[in-house]
Amino acid sequence: MTAALLQVRGLTKRYLGLTAVDDVSYEVEAGSVVGLIGPNGSGKSTIVDCLSGFQPADGGRWSLDGHELTGLSPHRIARAAMTRTFQTVRAYDELTLLDNLCVAAQESDGVGWLQALGRGSRLRGAERAAEARGRDLLATVGLADYAGAPAGILSYGQRKLLAIAASMMARPRLVVLDEPVAGVNPTMIRRIEQVIHQLNAEGVTLIIVEHNVDFIMALCRRVIVLDAGRKIADGPPALIRSDPRVLAAYLGQRGAAELGHGRR
Amino acid sequence: MRAGWLRALLVVLGVAALFAIPKVTGNEYVLALGVSFATFSVLSGGLNLVYGYTGLLSFAQVGFFGIGGYTAALLVTEQGWSLWAGAAAGGVLAALVGLVIGYSSLRLSRHAFAIVSLSFALLCVIVALEWVSLTRGAMGIPGLPIPTLSLPGGLRWRLGRPADFYYLLLGFAVVAHAVIYLVVTSRLGRAMRAIKLNEPLAQSQGVNPLSYKLLAIALSALLAGTVGGLFVFYLTIVDPSIFDFYYTETMLIMVIIGGPGSFWGVLGSSAVLAALPDLLRFTTDLRMVLYGAVLIAAMLLFPGGVGGWLQRRRRARWRRPGVTAP
Repeated sequence: MTAALLQVRGLTKRYLGLTAVDDVSYEVEAGSVVGLIGPNGSGKSTIVDCLSGFQPADGGRWSLDGHELTGLSPHRIARAAMTRTFQTVRAYDELTLLDNLCVAAQESDGVGWLQALGRGSRLRGAERAAEARGRDLLATVGLADYAGAPAGILSYGQRKLLAIAASMMARPRLVVLDEPVAGVNPTMIRRIEQVIHQLNAEGVTLIIVEHNVDFIMALCRRVIVLDAGRKIADGPPALIRSDPRVLAAYLGQRGAAELGHGRR
Repeated sequence: MRAGWLRALLVVLGVAALFAIPKVTGNEYVLALGVSFATFSVLSGGLNLVYGYTGLLSFAQVGFFGIGGYTAALLVTEQGWSLWAGAAAGGVLAALVGLVIGYSSLRLSRHAFAIVSLSFALLCVIVALEWVSLTRGAMGIPGLPIPTLSLPGGLRWRLGRPADFYYLLLGFAVVAHAVIYLVVTSRLGRAMRAIKLNEPLAQSQGVNPLSYKLLAIALSALLAGTVGGLFVFYLTIVDPSIFDFYYTETMLIMVIIGGPGSFWGVLGSSAVLAALPDLLRFTTDLRMVLYGAVLIAAMLLFPGGVGGWLQRRRRARWRRPGVTAP
């Protein structure tokens, strides 16, 4: 068996007395699309924030492809080829779509500050490459017509697509999408699903954190379920759907009993 | 591409016209306005880099300005340094102080930086007043000598006439704005704007906000300190009033009216606002009232500054129904 791309061991995060993430461990194989679901407050977003360096973890270690990421700051984790999107969709509203994407590539192309100011051939080559990749990604997410428009004019769903494209700019190994379809209309959800498939086909490994259980079940061949900060299930969607602990977490003990082991 | 050449031509013509002014009029009052514009435009340009592009509200610029002034005055009068070296040393010292302030406070938050920068500016006045053995206290250092600069080619330039200081400060302003323009139009400027617009997003894309913020602070401090070092020799005195809140207020108004994050907007508003209080001199009683009225009107008409207004117009183009990529 090959070593996993992402290894998380005993991740723990406490807020005062409350343990938001409690000793969570899992591995993600290169090339896979893994879903991370759980009821409100189960610790999904906290895990994303800890893994990407936005919140300090209280315990545990994690590594990407053997490189230790524990305790690194967000920009270092991003440069180590693990990027993320945000639940509250973020974009640089005043920058053009193309600039939104080029910013995301400029810290990993090895061009220094003085080279950037000198505007030599090294910089021009790097910027041309970033622009070309940016246009490709905009075409992938269907925003190519707006490459020169400021991001502020985009709709909510379009901003989600832009954020996904930006997270791919620096050719990361692993991307964590935090609620990519929350609050998005069904047409746009299908589009985002296609984009995720296409990016995965290009070799990107993805972790998708979602509330929308149907979306995850359709998209991922492996799903991790959290409840109250603990991992309660981990396996293929068919198994997850009938897992009594998962049903209890989503419907409560009684609801799960009444429903039997039927589909949600 | 043609628009770029046209703009370059306009800039060259504009600079040439400014340099030609002393040939046309020897009027000392006009030259004094020019010196004031050159000096303030460097201060507001630096503040625009820190606040307009990087999003850090800073009250420290006046402190850097004064540190540069005191450093240059002391090094020239007491150590016999040339004005070039003294002003450069003032700029470097200001940049180092800026790095210390930035590094210590930005580890907390950008609000912490705003507060620390304000405290720093106030502290500068106290130090200038109380460290009498160095700064001579409230008396300041009057009677700064007329400097003589050595130029390339063995020429010596004695800054005896008002026009000389006009040339010197205008020349430095051109260099300072060229440096600022180079930075803000490069991808460093793009990263700074990204940090201002959405810092967590920038971090998630590998941008280290602290290093770009420190770059902006250090560069603006270097320019403010150097221009301070030159300006005090024009005044022929440096005293604690170099740290006056008036400078901070004027810089902030220039940046806010011009549009934070707009290079040309802030440069233009610096020119207008450097001259405005004097243009209104025709009515002594109402002068400051009118100045206030103009500022309020500008804020009502251009809530995002002139630069913000232009930006909105550009954006509206994309909102018109039926219009997609041009």
